[in-house]
Amino acid sequence: MDAWVRGWAAALGLAVAACSNNPYPDADTSRKILYTNYNEAPRTLDPATAYTTSAHAITGNVYDTLLEYHYLKRPYELIPGLAEEVPRAEPQPDGSVVYRFRLRPDLLYQDDPAFALGGEGRSTRQIVAADVAHELMRIGDPAVNSPVIEPFSNIVGFRAFSQSLAERREADPAFAAKPPVEQYAGVGGIEGVRVRGERELEIVLANPYPQILYWFAMPFTTPVPWEAVAYYDGEEGRPHFSDRPVASGPFVLEEYHKQARMVLEANPNWYGVRHPEWQAPGATYPSEGAEGDAEAGLLDPALMGRPLPFLERIEFRREKESIPAFQKFLQGYYDASGIIRESFDTVIREDRLSPEMEELGVRLEKSVIPAVYYLGFNMDDPVVGRAGGERARKLRQAMSLAIDAEEWLRLFTNGRGVPAQSLLPPGLYGYDADYENPYRRVDLERARALLAEAGFPDGIDPQTGKPLQLTFDTPDTSAQGKLRYSFYVNAWRKLGIDVRLEATNYNQFQEKVRNGAYQIFPWGWVADYPDPENFYFLLWSEMARTRNQGPNTANFSDPGFDERFLAMKARENDPERLRLIQEMRAILEEERPWIELFHPEDYALFHGWLRGVKPAGISNPTSKYRDLAPALRAEERAAWNQPVIWPAFALAFLAVAVALPGVVTFFRERQ
Amino acid sequence: MLAYVLRRAAYGVLVVLGVLLLLFVLFFQIASPDDVARRALGEKALPEVIEQWKANHGYDRPLWPWQDFSNNMLFEHYRSMLTFDFGRSDADDVVITERLRQGVGPSLALTLPLFVAGISVGIVLSLFVAFFRETYIDRVGVWLCVLGMSVSILLYIMGGQLVIAQWLRWFPISGFDPDPSVVGRFLALPLVIAVLSGVGGDVRFYRTVFLEETNRDYVRTARAKGAGEIRIMARHVLRNALIPILTRVVVAIPFLFMGSLLLESFFGIPGLGSITVDAINGNDFSTLRTMVFIGALLFIVGQIATDVSYALVDPRVRFS
Repeated sequence: MDAWVRGWAAALGLAVAACSNNPYPDADTSRKILYTNYNEAPRTLDPATAYTTSAHAITGNVYDTLLEYHYLKRPYELIPGLAEEVPRAEPQPDGSVVYRFRLRPDLLYQDDPAFALGGEGRSTRQIVAADVAHELMRIGDPAVNSPVIEPFSNIVGFRAFSQSLAERREADPAFAAKPPVEQYAGVGGIEGVRVRGERELEIVLANPYPQILYWFAMPFTTPVPWEAVAYYDGEEGRPHFSDRPVASGPFVLEEYHKQARMVLEANPNWYGVRHPEWQAPGATYPSEGAEGDAEAGLLDPALMGRPLPFLERIEFRREKESIPAFQKFLQGYYDASGIIRESFDTVIREDRLSPEMEELGVRLEKSVIPAVYYLGFNMDDPVVGRAGGERARKLRQAMSLAIDAEEWLRLFTNGRGVPAQSLLPPGLYGYDADYENPYRRVDLERARALLAEAGFPDGIDPQTGKPLQLTFDTPDTSAQGKLRYSFYVNAWRKLGIDVRLEATNYNQFQEKVRNGAYQIFPWGWVADYPDPENFYFLLWSEMARTRNQGPNTANFSDPGFDERFLAMKARENDPERLRLIQEMRAILEEERPWIELFHPEDYALFHGWLRGVKPAGISNPTSKYRDLAPALRAEERAAWNQPVIWPAFALAFLAVAVALPGVVTFFRERQ
Repeated sequence: MLAYVLRRAAYGVLVVLGVLLLLFVLFFQIASPDDVARRALGEKALPEVIEQWKANHGYDRPLWPWQDFSNNMLFEHYRSMLTFDFGRSDADDVVITERLRQGVGPSLALTLPLFVAGISVGIVLSLFVAFFRETYIDRVGVWLCVLGMSVSILLYIMGGQLVIAQWLRWFPISGFDPDPSVVGRFLALPLVIAVLSGVGGDVRFYRTVFLEETNRDYVRTARAKGAGEIRIMARHVLRNALIPILTRVVVAIPFLFMGSLLLESFFGIPGLGSITVDAINGNDFSTLRTMVFIGALLFIVGQIATDVSYALVDPRVRFS
């Protein structure tokens, strides 16, 4: 009997000891591992095609770029990455523009079996200018399906390269069967991408397009070794290149299980690790920043000037549900988190962190995302669009005056957002904090007057004698979605206009927009790079959705706007460019193809043990600048996560207490 | 018996063909090939890129045979499924069989222990309440079972995550890691929750079966011969009650491989259930049809296996 009791006691002791909510192996506690989570795995990690935030979280860290953004300075500033310096535009007599990049010496790829294709026993090799050219050709390759063909079409011969590649493949199956790199050479490459030696690369643009440099700060233009593309072809058990990055950056992808986790490890071959003596700007923590950075602890002497990266490993764990993910953050198992709607009121009080959060040592970082959300009018529509002439313009102006974006933000996003006065978000060149759009404040009196001038007194359509009927097409059929969009419908109802909400699913909505079968619609745009061109092109007539399937969903077309846009697009930031931006803004202010709503604001939470964190609105790699204190983290986690065992004993006791009298009586009666 | 199995399998083929047709019709009612491409490439993809993607993935063909008899998507859909050529995922071009291989481990890690624990707990508890039949233990037990059956599994999941993981901090709230030092922690909570949510129905069913057996003549005979109650329950009643229990259990076995849609989704377990949910959410037709096809096959295998096992354990049952 004693042995039984001892056995049970030992088993119970073991079970209690095994009780732990720590999702990580105990051995990892003291390591500099950053834990974060993701909801949906990236669809591809091919740098030529990956275009989502979740993909850039990986590609941005494993693929280094020729240029990058200064980590702290705002407005955004380009600094050299793999390139020795940021090139200057060199205008040519024929109107073309040349950019000359020079790569740093002694740059190596990560170790990878693919490099054996280039020579027996090779495990890595030098990064050369031809690798960047190779990646630009991949973007132009129709079979790669890159979503960013458009901006690179400014390069001389880019379109011609794509076309001749497609034609040769179609005409000659033997050519199509060759490895891609041989096919690219077979059609002579891209005329405007000239490799001038191992480290020199010239890019020739047919027309001035200064924004091209921003594209060299994105993973699309990272050097890609031909060996990796040839080797990782999805055959004989090898993964596809889209699932197997071959890195040039500060981290390498160590484990990639899309459904469960993605693990990055520091790359020992990265130039920052091999050559800390260079003090290269992309491999050293910066010593100067923007206003407020010193107060936020970002200019900490313990960080400034130190070689990057600080972390040994980054683990992305999949969390499909937001509540468990946030709970793990509160338990200290994730180092950073957003704020979920369900917990907003317990985390934020009066726009500040709640005392409970402050007690946990949590920090809050707010940042405006370089994006704009708006309501658009279909300018091809006979009632609200350009065919309606002056009447329709006044109708749009009146409808704009009825929308209170600030109230909408307060009701639906806990105030997370900045009401928009124009389409440019804060932090971009041309943004003017003092600008007030006369049609972006609520003024129902003026709105009614404008409606009357438009021929719709009190919102009544004189042709029918009834309130003017319009449709508002939305891509969300959920109850919450309908509630959000009904806010606008109700606002217009105050003017007497009868706007019908047509909620369809996303696919049907897309179809309607493609076919031009809509009047009013909600939309948003997140910047690819911090330049006003990336916002104003959304209203350029060449980008019209129904005609050219472009992102100009309002189908806005105005010769004066187009002319100024093209002039602005071709200029670097100067007073003339600013003037053009202001003139375009004035056109949009009057024409009202959009009702600008807001620029969303991101509230991010960080634990006290994480340092060097500055939210980056533009999707760029920032993990190399982050540092953490594992000892402090382990201490806090242990204090916050002691299991509560007594309810298990109480429950067992209760069950025995309820059943025991019955059992005893039963056997007594039997006897 | 072989003739019977073959006949059932032939019916099964018809069912699978029907399921594949239904899936095809329903999927393309809701999403067009353009939508599938747009989901794979992202919102900012240009029309020419979308066209190219469709051509690369075979979505540029007409859907129906009457549009183009020799080259249409419906026939290609049947060809690829019936030859087990699952191809690559529409969402991210991963080879689907590779994804299935990755998912089956975590799914079995959850469903196998759940299957064993569910049956064991169900049988032990139902034997217990059947043993104390017509006492308050039996009545409280049945009442608790009905209560347990009436509550949605979603409530169990959320309640379990709140109470056991968040308040009591016994186990991680969600997640999965195949590392042997932590895998048990991740599986404990979904196991406890799934057993708790399923035990009510099981106990009621098994209890009824046991009670029916305890009223039979052979039990009275055994008792008259002086056999103890515990011996009667464990040796005689349990054995004879196994036949109806078997029908309930065998049909579930093939589905162990498919994982659990809800548990895997809520607990972030990267199994086959989770893959199916992702495929639905991501307009990933090629993965979804593979999962539905395998599900239909397993369903038929389960049905046939149940019939066969029934005949094997009960000689009175004949195939006809």
